[in-house]
Amino acid sequence: MNHVIEARGLTKRYKRTTAVDNIDLQIPAGRIVGLIGPNGAGKTSALKAILGLATYEGHLTVLGKNPSTDRAALMEDVCFIADVAVLPRWIRVSQLIELTEDIHPKFSREKCLKYLSSTKITLDHRVKQLSKGMVAQLHLAIVMAIDAKLLVLDEPTLGLDILYRKQFYTNLLNDYFDEERTIIITTHQVEEVEHILSDLIFIQDGRIALDCSMEKVQESFVEVMVAPDQAATARELHPLYERELFGKHIFLYKDVSREQLRELGELHTPSVADLFVATMSGGAA
Amino acid sequence: MNRLMALVKREFWENKGAFRTTPLVIGGIFLIAMLMFLITFNHFDNEFQSLKELLRFIAQQDVELRGKILYAIYLETSVIFSMVLAFVVFFYLLGSLYDDRKDRSILFWKSLPASDTLTIGSKLLAAMVLAPLIFWIIYVLTSIVIMLLFSVVIMTLGENPWTLFLSLGNPFKAWSLVLLSYFAQSIWALPLYGWLMLVSAFAPRIPLLFAILPPVILGILELWVDFLQTFTLNKNLFGLFGHWFANSPLVISADQHGNDEFGAALGIPLTSDFDHQVTAANMFDRLFSTEMLVGLIIAAVFLTATLWLRRRATES
Repeated sequence: MNHVIEARGLTKRYKRTTAVDNIDLQIPAGRIVGLIGPNGAGKTSALKAILGLATYEGHLTVLGKNPSTDRAALMEDVCFIADVAVLPRWIRVSQLIELTEDIHPKFSREKCLKYLSSTKITLDHRVKQLSKGMVAQLHLAIVMAIDAKLLVLDEPTLGLDILYRKQFYTNLLNDYFDEERTIIITTHQVEEVEHILSDLIFIQDGRIALDCSMEKVQESFVEVMVAPDQAATARELHPLYERELFGKHIFLYKDVSREQLRELGELHTPSVADLFVATMSGGAA
Repeated sequence: MNRLMALVKREFWENKGAFRTTPLVIGGIFLIAMLMFLITFNHFDNEFQSLKELLRFIAQQDVELRGKILYAIYLETSVIFSMVLAFVVFFYLLGSLYDDRKDRSILFWKSLPASDTLTIGSKLLAAMVLAPLIFWIIYVLTSIVIMLLFSVVIMTLGENPWTLFLSLGNPFKAWSLVLLSYFAQSIWALPLYGWLMLVSAFAPRIPLLFAILPPVILGILELWVDFLQTFTLNKNLFGLFGHWFANSPLVISADQHGNDEFGAALGIPLTSDFDHQVTAANMFDRLFSTEMLVGLIIAAVFLTATLWLRRRATES
């Protein structure tokens, strides 16, 4: 079993729509994958299938297990934060820790308390007394104290202020991630995660629009800033996408020789956000 | 097993108010009522001038009769606890698989390595064992405190509480029978519990409405059809529910048992399907009946459907 997630022909149909359309996916261990797509693209549906939270068609194994039948067993090695603030509101922090310790064989109370000690959260707090950012901190502390192989974060920082968001990802990267673990993140705030990602998956209308590593992104994709008089020449080289900024034209290319492009203007590695827009508006991969 | 216990503990934490505070309040009200009775007794316009006179009167009565009345009082004290317990369990089950769907914390619960079967089992266990056990403990404590209270009052009036009443009835027998009746009732009520959990897993909103409306509509339709056909009105959902309640293996009413004895009764002695005298044998009689077998099959169907729904609760 070399892949943490292996999907072949993964499909999720609702009554009227097909949310996930015949996806093939292989995610190896030790990666941080950004699953990025517009609203309604099928990200959450795909993740729900992976986490055993929804039925699906096609072949899917997660850590060698079948999520639709083995959810409980799978959850010993998989953690997820499905949304901010889904912790039960009535529970006390101490109860939450005790409960997780009783139920989760790979949970370490010491680790959890260590993470919490750097926050303002106390054991006597009830979840409903905490701010949204603190609930996210608490949930992350719980999750990071579990020695899981796969961590799935679905919009884990939605609605949090920038301080919490930054800290959330810093903690995740510094204190949690290593070669053994795999993290899948979906988010709309692409800029905040792009520097921690190792792999990028774009999903559009239930299909995978792009699936490649960040190194590959840096190799294949390049942005050139071109003066208006050179724009026509630039267009002949089949850019994926063109936009204008301060009177300059910015072209995005895939697999075009850099010497050729350097003559047109300054080269940049495109940001994930720009790559995303280019892909969604018609045709990278 | 550890996980199941942890999940039951979770149910207790979440429902402390209903499971623990509620019976404590009932016990408290009971005691306050007793105190008020003792304090104001002399002010009533009654045939006894004072408590002391009442005690003298009681002391003159037949020992056997006093024993029976005392025993019945021990049993009857449980009725208020049982009735409130029934309400608590009803609303607990109705919310058991609904509340976490509503506030989305189901996503957290499903991230723990506990199966849906285990989760449903823990909730059923909380309703069938945990809540009755807590109510029973507080019922026993209340009985003890009341006995002590009366003993002290009787002693200050110069009488002997032991010969007057304590030695005449066996509270332990009454208490154990009540505990047994609580567990018997948990099994007797399983079809209802299954239905409530099913509604709780299914209802998109207002589970109470979904729990009550379908059976009421069905019952009315049955009445109507039955009325058109036979004018007898003897078999329908309401009647069935009435029979179910009247035959409960739970001390609900007082009864003469067909002779002059004063005593408590299981259920309501309106029907002669079962013997209503409060004995363990009569409780088991209900549990090993054909009615119970049918009830268990219905409960199994409801609970299987509940599990199916719970597995799919995070679909959309």
